[in-house]
Amino acid sequence: MSNLMTVDILSSIKGAKSSETISKLFEVIKNANISSNNFSSKNIQNAVSLEELRDDIVLESTEIEKKIIIENFPKEKNGYLVVSRVIEE
Amino acid sequence: MESQIREIHQLLVDQKISCTSLIQEKLATLKPNSHNTVNSLLEDLALEKAKKVDEKIKNGEKIGLLEGIPFGLKDVYMLQGTMTTASSEFLKSYKSAYTATAIQKLIDAGAIPIVKENGDSFGHGSSSENTIFGAVKNAFNKELVAGGSSGGSAVNVSKNYTVFSIGGDTGGSVRQPSGYNKVYGLKPTYGRISRYGLLAYASSTDCVGPIATSIEDLRIVLNTMSGKDVKDQTTYVSDEISEENISKNDTIKTIGYFKNFIENDAIDASIKSDFLTSIEKIKATGINVKALDFFDAETLISTYYTLAMAETASNLSRLDGTNYGNRMEGKNLKDSYSITRSENFSEETKRRIVGGNQVLSQGFADDIYLKALSIRDEISENFEKDFQEVDIIVSPVTPNSPPKIGDSLKNPLAMYLSDAYTVGFSLGQLPTLTIPQGTLTGVQLTAAKNNDDLLLKFANFLKEVI
Repeated sequence: MSNLMTVDILSSIKGAKSSETISKLFEVIKNANISSNNFSSKNIQNAVSLEELRDDIVLESTEIEKKIIIENFPKEKNGYLVVSRVIEE
Repeated sequence: MESQIREIHQLLVDQKISCTSLIQEKLATLKPNSHNTVNSLLEDLALEKAKKVDEKIKNGEKIGLLEGIPFGLKDVYMLQGTMTTASSEFLKSYKSAYTATAIQKLIDAGAIPIVKENGDSFGHGSSSENTIFGAVKNAFNKELVAGGSSGGSAVNVSKNYTVFSIGGDTGGSVRQPSGYNKVYGLKPTYGRISRYGLLAYASSTDCVGPIATSIEDLRIVLNTMSGKDVKDQTTYVSDEISEENISKNDTIKTIGYFKNFIENDAIDASIKSDFLTSIEKIKATGINVKALDFFDAETLISTYYTLAMAETASNLSRLDGTNYGNRMEGKNLKDSYSITRSENFSEETKRRIVGGNQVLSQGFADDIYLKALSIRDEISENFEKDFQEVDIIVSPVTPNSPPKIGDSLKNPLAMYLSDAYTVGFSLGQLPTLTIPQGTLTGVQLTAAKNNDDLLLKFANFLKEVI
């Protein structure tokens, strides 16, 4: 993958451009004076401990869940769910 | 203690009203959609549930406190079989396949969902104007915004269209509209309530937040929704908050406020003077008040938005029209993704996705994203230090009064700055409560992590003080 991906490609949004407003926010961060530049994450610890990891089991969806998931699928043809054409490049 | 839930419960038990008539009455007030708060009404579901409550009462069976109580939920919560649009074009036809844990807990306790509520799409906004359902109008003046992103929920509670509503708060989305519409709005400690089934905006600050007209109602709803959930591994076990615990202030001796929130040019003169008057009234009760130092508004806003944009860019990358959503076909898969995303996301959502991807990309990540995380660390350390000195931090909710509908969309930076007083507490993952007192847009109370009970206790105390 190229290191020079533009923001529209990165975001999968046609014609997307960086915003002046957002750039101003980034400038504030760049210029901020902080005591340490080493992100430690010590205060924002949301990770679950190993003892508390939930069991790795497959949970069967209910019939109603399956029905709604299929209903939400954008396209159906002859009983099959249709995905977009795959990339040919 | 004053409580709509308790009053209605008693009326139902005494058979002075039926649950069906109560639900019908609430639905009738919501149907005209006078303030654009309604994305969809859950009429059939609600009336079916009400009938069961009436049958129970008729049969002499005991009902729980929340049984038959009508509530609203922001249209970002999954409720099986109902539309969950996130107020967006992208998901305008999306139906929930399952139910959010917090909502399921309320339903299990007997509360009846009656409406999916309008707000900024995907939570992206502070005015509830960034929506396909029309800008939500302020409960007190229809020319003004409701605030956001949970604007529909706050207005419904304020107008008494719902007894309580469940909003979502990432950077102030429950607290700010609660302030703008003069109701109580709580952002609990991060992890107290499961986020499972809440459409993710910024996962490290997203919180389920109840909005109500009384402290007691908030307590009842908070207790019902709290608790560890294996489906959200950031949740933790919390103690139930008793009515007795919050009825008397015997523990809060010292409070603080941030000097720089008040001593700057951005704050409205009347909000500033009302806030300082409130502080003086608190002092007069014998409580110590300390003026504290904090980060400036620009740094807080920039840190919050940098991190929230990075997280939302990642969370919304799943929306590509493959499995659900409004797919638009292109000449190949990549093209389909980008057409679908370009056509269906609003300008504000695109701005945040692009900003988020930008900040996570090579050349930006170290200088901005990682630095923002370091600033967040320092903010948290600052809070830890503060809460060794004070029990509660009191602050205004917003620097200004609600803007006119249309003004925020023209000036996104001004809209971001309106979150100046709320985002810091989100970054700290602290419990924060808006109370409809003290200034035109209310006052925020913040405590150390997992001290949500202190907020309710102090709010109760302040009812007679400010």
